[in-house]
This record gives sequence, structure tokens and C-alpha cells, in this order.
Amino acid sequence: MEILVQQLFNGLTIGSVYSLVALGLTLVYGILHIPNFAHGALYMLGGYITLSMMTLYGVNYWMAMFVSIIVVGLLGVLLERFVFRLLREAPPLHDKIAAIGILLFLEAFAQFVWGADFHTMTSPYGQVVNILGLTFTLQRLLIIVSAIAVMVLLYLFLKKTYAGSTIIAMSQSREGASLVGININKVAMLTFMISGGLAAIASSLASPINLVFPGMGHLVILKAFVIIILGGMGSIPGAIVGGYILGFSESLGATYISNDYKDIIAFILLVIILTVKPTGLFAKGER
Amino acid sequence: MLKLTDVAVNYGSFTAINHVNIEVAEGEIVVLLGANGAGKSTTFRSISGISKLSKGEIHFQGIPIGGRAPDKNVREGIVQCAEGRKLFPQMTVQENLRMGAYVHRKKKAEIKDSLEYVYHLFPILKEKHHDEAGSLSGGQQQMLAIGRALMSKPKLLMLDEPSVGLAPLIVEQMFQVIEEINREGITILLAEQNANAALSIADKGYVFENGEIVVQGTASELLANDEVRKAYIGA
Repeated sequence: MEILVQQLFNGLTIGSVYSLVALGLTLVYGILHIPNFAHGALYMLGGYITLSMMTLYGVNYWMAMFVSIIVVGLLGVLLERFVFRLLREAPPLHDKIAAIGILLFLEAFAQFVWGADFHTMTSPYGQVVNILGLTFTLQRLLIIVSAIAVMVLLYLFLKKTYAGSTIIAMSQSREGASLVGININKVAMLTFMISGGLAAIASSLASPINLVFPGMGHLVILKAFVIIILGGMGSIPGAIVGGYILGFSESLGATYISNDYKDIIAFILLVIILTVKPTGLFAKGER
Repeated sequence: MLKLTDVAVNYGSFTAINHVNIEVAEGEIVVLLGANGAGKSTTFRSISGISKLSKGEIHFQGIPIGGRAPDKNVREGIVQCAEGRKLFPQMTVQENLRMGAYVHRKKKAEIKDSLEYVYHLFPILKEKHHDEAGSLSGGQQQMLAIGRALMSKPKLLMLDEPSVGLAPLIVEQMFQVIEEINREGITILLAEQNANAALSIADKGYVFENGEIVVQGTASELLANDEVRKAYIGA
């Protein structure tokens, strides 16, 4: 019983990170229909920037994370403006090729600047706490609380502000958005900024319990794709629920099946869910 | 108010419209007639800025607007209600209407007034204001599309086939509402296949065939024109 609760808590932790990454991916997919393979590289950069700010400039963890969000968010804007916008009229394959190109470039760039070594990020919240028989580091609790806070803020932004609802509007009908006077280009840039920012938050939160290295985004982005496929491409609730489903099944699978097969669980889950419900869990009714 | 001079639009190597000359005076209802694919929708898209002109010029209130971004045109009062409605299907009726007022988003009181006005024109929308747009019937969706367009306070409202696929009774209502909107001082450009109903409320009309205007005249002239009667009214 204790192990179960402990593993559920761990599932909640990794699920939170997955959800944040998948949210950024699904937002971009929802409005631009681009599968942004470079999203994992943005995640990786976010980790490096936070780490560098802390080690090189001695900035505190939160400030470093803030800088990271801004930098990666702006990088997202640049990608939209100078890569994906120019490809909007091109065949859809070109977006995918461009995204893979960006991914390779950013990874090589990180390796060039920071080297191929693994780095650890020491968070100020490394204390071990013990609540109701559960033992965990404060950082893990922080991941869960921050991720949920970010999701709530994102939800309020999308639902309650005009700027946010333009993103929803564009995802439901791009031409309709144009017709009511929404500037499609601005919405696209805003979406990429939020997406980049979410990636930076996710990696800054997760890095203290993982490691920072050029390939840190690989598995995360693959899983994020699994999440948005099983949650329904472009669906926001799908990305959140999918992230937690994956987090729980991984941590429970690692304990009760085998730790070695932990990473394969995501893909088995994908096969099962797509067999039962080929459109994904939260697929939109009409396209 | 609106003037198209020798406008042409190409989609790749295909010429969708060519040599289009249209003039609309303030307060008029002008109807564009023609079969599917004759060029009515492309004309609308060129005016609203969604399709780029390959030739010609468009003036709105004396200012050239050819090639201007669609969102700028909406802000200046050129609003299109597209064929196929282009609603936000998973948003509620009220959210759709609020999005319609996007260009006036800072003016809360104005939005509320516009909302009241739209609900007054289409009471059914008020009744269903919590329902998702995608769950409405065809006629209600068309009303919502017109309502959403009105929310941006247009000077020129372009309606692309508002009667298509609707029951005769609803069509009649629709045309009454269009007249009512026009009486409020909004100039209307209407694309229709239902020539009889459209010409009965219009001041003048243009007939499209294969991307060009083949006949034009006042509504009564067109109604009396044998070819128009044969082709579009079936009499």
C-alpha cells in the first residue's frame, strides 16, 4: 500500500512534466497543424539556460527559470516568424522537415556551447520531507504544485482573456478568426511564445530530478507526441489528461512490471488506445 | 462607398475572376447573382482581403484597400459573413458573438449593446446562448454567423449565400432580417442563387458567369431581363 501511494505520487510528478510539454506541443499543433519536432530541443535549451543562469551568474532558481521562459519563448517567436510562417503556403511536409532541421541545429548548438557532458542542476528545494509516511524531496512537490498552477493560469488566459481566446478561435476555424478581424500572424507568434515558455518551465522544473544534457529532450518529446496523439491532436484537456495517464502508467509499470520496460509503456499504451479509439480520447468531433 | 475596378484574382494558373467592376453606394443592398463557382465568393474574398488581387484596385470610402490585411479591413468596417459560416464550433453562441466583437474588445459597454441588438434580431440565439455553435441547426448557425458579423459593427456587410440549404420559411425570415439590418444604415453586398428573393430586396445587381460580370442593372431591370429570368428564376 505504501509503495502504491509512493508510486502514485511519482506518477503525479512525471505526469506534471509530461503534461506541460504536451500542452505546448498541442497548442502549436491545434492552430498551425505543425507537428513541432523541435519542441524537445526547446525543452532541452530551457534546461541549459536555467542551469547556466544559476551556475554562471549565481541567479536564484526562480529568476533563472524566468529568464529561461523569456529566452525560449522568444526563440519560439523567431521560429514562427522566420521559419514556419514562410512555409505556410508550402506543402505540409516542408514544415516537418524544417522542424527536424531546427531540432538537429539546436542540439548541435547546445553541444557546441555546453559540451556533451551530463550536468546536474541543484535546486534549493532538495530537502527530503516526510508526510503521512510518504518520503519525497521538496522539488517533487514543487513540480506538481507549479505545473498545476501553470495549467490553471493557462486555462484562465485561454478562457477569460480576448488574447487567449484568439488562440482557441484560430484552432477551431482559421478563416473564421480572420473574418472577425483577428491577426493570424500575431496569434501564431503568441502561440509559439507560450509553447516555448511551457517547454522552459517543464525542463526547469524537471532538471533537478533528472540531468541536463543535449539529448535530454528526445524521450520527452517522443512521449509528448504519444500524449497528444492519444489525447486527440490539438486537444488541450487531452494533453493534460494524457500526460497524467502516461505518468501514472509509467511509475506503476516500473514498480509492478519492470523498471527496464518503463519507457516502452508509453508506446504500448498508444497502440492500445488507438486500437480502441482511433481518433484519440478527446478528439474534436469535426474538422 | 465601395468600388472595384477591373479586379482579377488568380488561384495558381486558374483565373477565378477577371474584369470585375462593381460599385456600391452607401446604404444600398447590392446582390451578386451566379451559379456555384461563378466568382461571387472570390469577389468577396478579394474585398475582405483574404484573397490577393492579381490585377485591379478596390476602393473603400475613397481609400485603396487592395492587398490590405483582412484584420485591418474588419477594423475599418468591411465584414464578411462567409459561405459555410466559419463559426467556432466548440464555442458557445455567446462566445462566438463575443469573438465577433474582437476588434472592439476594449469597449465593454459597446459590446453589450451589440449583443443586445443581435439577440433582439435573433431571439433564438438568446435562448441558446449557452449551447455550442456546432450543435445548432443550419438556420440558427446562419443567424449566428450574421450576428457575429454584426458584432464588429460593419459599415459594409457582405453576406455569402445566407439562404443556402435553409427551409423556405427560414429563408423568408432571413431576408426580412437583412432588410432590417440595412434600414439601420448598414450597406449590404449579398451573394445569392435565390435570385427572386434577393432581387426583391436589392437596389441593384450583378450577374456572374465564369468569373466575369455578364449582366448588370437595377433590381427591376434584372427581374425583367429574360436571360436572368431563365437562368436564375426559372420562369
